[in-house]
Amino acid sequence: MASKLVWEQIGAGFVQHYYQQFDSDRTKLADLYTDASCLTWEGVGFQGHKAIMEKITSLPFQSIQHSITAQDHQPTPDSCVMSMVMGQLKADTDQVMGFQQTFLLKNVDNKWICTNDMFRLALHNFGA
Amino acid sequence: MASKPVWEQIGAGFVQHYYQQFDSDRTKLADLYTDASCLTWEGVGFQGHKAIMEKITSLPFQSIQHSITAQDHQPTPDSCVMSMVMGQLKADTDQVMGFQQTFLLKNVDNKWICTNDMFRLALHNFGA
Repeated sequence: MASKLVWEQIGAGFVQHYYQQFDSDRTKLADLYTDASCLTWEGVGFQGHKAIMEKITSLPFQSIQHSITAQDHQPTPDSCVMSMVMGQLKADTDQVMGFQQTFLLKNVDNKWICTNDMFRLALHNFGA
Repeated sequence: MASKPVWEQIGAGFVQHYYQQFDSDRTKLADLYTDASCLTWEGVGFQGHKAIMEKITSLPFQSIQHSITAQDHQPTPDSCVMSMVMGQLKADTDQVMGFQQTFLLKNVDNKWICTNDMFRLALHNFGA
């Protein structure tokens, strides 16, 4: 069996790590962002490490669980990796909700960091 | 009222043009891709202009209509624009389905082209 393409390994590795950290202790996501990073969370933008971590750590739930339905990864012309994730999440005792998230990953000093992150709950999709 | 940031104008302009073309005559999307472009359609990858256009023009429906629920745009460190779209579509007489799509746009010779494109139907999301 052919080994997965390198950008799929990078993207899948990041995605697994990201949601594992998010669900267990999201303060640990701090390593993944820099001052060049942008986050758009439910349509609101946050620029830079401080603002992004403030947003993530202040999200109003105690416990959260993500479950990944599908993920796609591609290499970009500037040697980044773009990843699109579709999944479901459950926060505290809320109902299960669908979400989509897109990441752009860049290799900086031999480490893959997230320069762009966009998250939205799938509140308007009527897919079966 | 403050004018929109430039990357939002670029992203929103592209998204409007893309779905307008897709719904009216998707052969015209040819201008938006180059040989450096990648498309992942429902988990299957297509590399380069020829393969991408073959996939798009061979999709098995006569008519299609996209409706955008939400879109987000961000500038990337390499001067690209990343756009994430959530919406619904209806092909022929099929039921309405949710979808998500992510684009990475790059300015080449004063024209914004799509270097990365990922599309998935939202078949597993149970959002209200």
